[in-house]
Amino acid sequence: MQEYQNRYLKNAQEISAGQFEGYDELTALRHENSRLLEEYLFPVLDDLPSADAGVLQELSEFAAALMDRRFNLDCGLYILIHDALLSLYRIRKDRSGVIRELYALGMGHYYRNRMLNGLPDRMVSSFHFENEMIFTEGASYFKYFDTIGDDETKGYILRCLGNIAIATPDRKRRVAVSSRMLQIIQDDHYRRLAPSLPWDLYLRSTHQQMSSNRDVLSKGDLSSDELAAILESCHVVFEPEKAADDPNIRWLWPYYEMEYSLGLADLNMTLYRMRHLIESMPADHHDASGLYANVQLPIYYGRLLRGHPELKNRSEHVQFLADAYGKMIQCILSFPSGSIDDFFRYDLDLILYDYYETEGTPDFLSILNVLFSRIGGTVYARSVQTGQIMQTICRAIYDSDPSYFRHLPVFPEGTAPEETGDILADYAMQCGILQDIGLFGMHMDRLLYLREMFEDELPIYRLHTEAGHLILQEKPSTRLFADTALGHHSWYNGSGGWPDTYVRNGSNCRQMTDIAAIASFLEENRELDRDTLLSELFRYEGTRFSPLVTAYFGSNQMTDEVFAILSADPSAAPVS
Amino acid sequence: MPREYAVIMPGPGGDKILYRTSGFTEDSTCIRQPLSDGTFLLIAGTDDLEEENRVLKTRLEESLSANHAKDAFLSSMSHDIRTPMNAIIGMTALAGKHIDEKDRVVDALSKIETASDHLLSLINEVLDMSRINSGVSVLSEEAFSLSDLLHETLTIVKPLMEKKGHAFHTELGSILCEDLFGDTLRLRQIFVNIISNAAKYTPAGGQIDVSISEELSGDLCTLSFACRDNGIGMSKDFIARIFTPFERASTSTVSGIEGTGLGMSIVKRLIDMMHGTIGIESEEGKGTAVSIRIPLQVREAPAPSYRLNGTRLMIIEGDEELRDLYKTYLTDAGAEAVFAMSAQEAVSLFSDAEFSGSSYDAVLIGRSTGDSGSIFDIAGYLHKSHPQLPIVLVSEHNWETIEYQAGRSGISHFIPLPFFRKSLLRSLGTVLDSSAAEGTASSASIDLTGRNILLVEDNLINMEIASEILASTNAGITRAGNGQEALEAFEASAEGFFDLILMDIQMPVMDGYTATKRIRSLDRKDAGTVIILAMTANAFAEDIANARSAGMNGHLAKPIDIARLMTMLRQYLQ
Repeated sequence: MQEYQNRYLKNAQEISAGQFEGYDELTALRHENSRLLEEYLFPVLDDLPSADAGVLQELSEFAAALMDRRFNLDCGLYILIHDALLSLYRIRKDRSGVIRELYALGMGHYYRNRMLNGLPDRMVSSFHFENEMIFTEGASYFKYFDTIGDDETKGYILRCLGNIAIATPDRKRRVAVSSRMLQIIQDDHYRRLAPSLPWDLYLRSTHQQMSSNRDVLSKGDLSSDELAAILESCHVVFEPEKAADDPNIRWLWPYYEMEYSLGLADLNMTLYRMRHLIESMPADHHDASGLYANVQLPIYYGRLLRGHPELKNRSEHVQFLADAYGKMIQCILSFPSGSIDDFFRYDLDLILYDYYETEGTPDFLSILNVLFSRIGGTVYARSVQTGQIMQTICRAIYDSDPSYFRHLPVFPEGTAPEETGDILADYAMQCGILQDIGLFGMHMDRLLYLREMFEDELPIYRLHTEAGHLILQEKPSTRLFADTALGHHSWYNGSGGWPDTYVRNGSNCRQMTDIAAIASFLEENRELDRDTLLSELFRYEGTRFSPLVTAYFGSNQMTDEVFAILSADPSAAPVS
Repeated sequence: MPREYAVIMPGPGGDKILYRTSGFTEDSTCIRQPLSDGTFLLIAGTDDLEEENRVLKTRLEESLSANHAKDAFLSSMSHDIRTPMNAIIGMTALAGKHIDEKDRVVDALSKIETASDHLLSLINEVLDMSRINSGVSVLSEEAFSLSDLLHETLTIVKPLMEKKGHAFHTELGSILCEDLFGDTLRLRQIFVNIISNAAKYTPAGGQIDVSISEELSGDLCTLSFACRDNGIGMSKDFIARIFTPFERASTSTVSGIEGTGLGMSIVKRLIDMMHGTIGIESEEGKGTAVSIRIPLQVREAPAPSYRLNGTRLMIIEGDEELRDLYKTYLTDAGAEAVFAMSAQEAVSLFSDAEFSGSSYDAVLIGRSTGDSGSIFDIAGYLHKSHPQLPIVLVSEHNWETIEYQAGRSGISHFIPLPFFRKSLLRSLGTVLDSSAAEGTASSASIDLTGRNILLVEDNLINMEIASEILASTNAGITRAGNGQEALEAFEASAEGFFDLILMDIQMPVMDGYTATKRIRSLDRKDAGTVIILAMTANAFAEDIANARSAGMNGHLAKPIDIARLMTMLRQYLQ
């Protein structure tokens, strides 16, 4: 690989692992990475048609080092490189190159789309569809399978075909694709055409993929053929595990789940089995099985309780869930920080999006604060500073006009006037900390700190407001902070902002949302000098920012305090 | 005139005051007068009692007579009004009691919305009936397209069909005249009313068939519309009374179906006004068939200007009947229709075309695409991978409600369903006319004869590739190897000579940003107006913003994608 590529990878690894001294060093690393791309990579892509085979090989190797199954260092850059290579092979009418790059591009999109885990279809369907179509285009070359000379290209075609099932959200299509794949894999005609391909591995992977459709068994809209295909794959995948002396919990639970979906085990039996699996795993086991039992299963337990409200009145279930959640947090917090990988992060997503808060379980706000402060890194640290800025602005407004915040739903009835200021300050700080919780939920730290963002990453980045809203809105203890997360990038006058159909936050938290919009803007543009930042603030007065709040900025103590906060290193933020 | 009085109703528990004026006080001077409905008038003491009593009594009698008429009306309407109001009041109270339980509140609001919609339709129909009866309502005569009228009708009834899970089928018979004169608003009202009734009075999962055909006699076209369902049906007795206001089949009450009982009366009166006829056949438990014949004036519409002969269209449509229709209409018009059952299959066909050197003039996304993605996702993907193609949505959707989203996903045209031969060919003609005008029909067909492009690129291979692509457009091409040469070439050219500059960014001597700024600052008229497009691999969002702030109009990613380049050329030069 080229020197700049090695340097970029080293920087990216240091940033991801948090191996930097303070925010300034992080910023320097980020700038250097952007510069490396500008000075070395972009010129290569600029003149890609004249690049020789060696350069193309190095680009592929560089891209491969940016992304692997366990840890995706820079999916966006991986996609950029493979997109350029795809264009090149299209120009050259190199069919094998096109097929290979379609597969790589599809994988890039697949891994990047995992940032969208937990978000509803209405927000992410277009990303998944694009991914599905890329694999579909790769798979469409299957008609040339007989005539393509090299097995490697044939392998990419088959993998594209199989991967349509992981990219599409349509369960019937998933089943259809896996069924077709199974037919091809088990057909000697194709095996003979490409003898060097790992056919048995394909077979097992496809059965695993097919068996992952077990959750649709209870939906009742599958044909008998589809049902049979799923059950067949479940049998192939689960039976050997079930018969083992020490079955892997990651296969045992899906087997139990399948039995529940088929009505072969009732709810009580299923809950009992789940309790047993959770209890039998110590909290300090951090391997894949440990995380599965300690994190995923308690979340699934909560899902079942949520789906069966009658169980809420049975204290043993709620008590068990509370204990399991406690163990879950213990497991997460004791996870070795140097080993945090994408699998760990996706388990974390489950907690953020799917935590079931009910009477008797720990409140989600406390859990979120702990997780965010311990794992949120720079995103958390900067959010704390945003909270501090919000506190400062709130204090100034409150001192000048105590009635300004009277509509906020945070003051208990009968609150003494002298207590109001403290309640307001706490609320402002918590709003500041949580307004960007969507960034944490979507693992945006890589997008934000590795390098400057690419144009095609902006639509994903912009989803963080909705993601934050989703995380906070669903749980009673965090609901008060949801509107601020949703609205902090929207335009004050309702004419714009990020969500397509945004209408300015009409909730009774809008005063705090207006303040969060300004505080986050100042924090995000902290690299600008004071005069420039203030002039930008006033430029958007009345459109992006509330004039009622910008009026408090100028040559005064509050503004001085805000800029004092901005000048401090955010990485010194306190940890819960 | 007495100022203070009261109306009372005697009863076993004493008199009950039904009404009284604000200052009325009962005392010994009050006079008691019997009224014709069994009530009594109590009048506070005045001077000229006899005359005043007479006047007052006459007025009250008139008023009571009018009230009796209203009572009769309200009596027949009371259930219809009270039922939705009960729901609205009850559900509002319930929502208030459970204000912290989101699900309960959402459920209550949903029921309130349903009841409100019903109440609104009731009020609208009562007013409508009143206008028709009083002769206020007059039919209009306006030119309309039968295809558009049916599309609008289906747009309205489709949600009801989907809600009840009905199988809904439209059969198009012999359509001789697609362009007619008539009152489209009232025609639509008739069709919607009849189809909605079929949907309402058919249990969930039923079958509803609508057929349309025409007969031609001179310049008069008789439109036949029939709607058949397999719903609850009607008795012979009821059929005889169906056009009487406020009549509804007794079975409908049992099945809990609500309606004003005015719809069919209105339909009948409108059809009478149009000199048409309506017939009803029905059998209880088996279903109902309503058939209408309405004479309409024929309108001569100009023939489509575009000739489809030789064009090649990709049609994503899984519905076999529609595929047959496309095939018949398009083959007759000399066009080639290539069908894909789904977007996945379309992508496969496009990849075939890519390597065989063939191309398509447009892609039509039809009703049944069999894909997991929405029509917008499909369009978005196709637009991204084949931006030069006009993408046409053929749908029963209401275009107005989806236009924004459709436009964003790359859908450039809309053909409403159902379509007939003429409407399809006319719509496609418009698509291909406009794309030919824009040069978008195929990437090779763009003609930039007479246009001049300054191509600025330091890399010889890139220059060669771009030149080769541009050569197919017949545009005049001037080459420059860096920003300085580009600046000099522009300065040396006659004012207005260059229509567009394709500007590389990373170049020796002078980069693209600087060259653009220098060109924009030249003291000549075309310095500010010439189109400058950046060609760069720089992908940072900030780079794109920088290109704009340097004065560039747009940006093209490198390596150059032929289709994207053509799209930009069309966008800016045609």
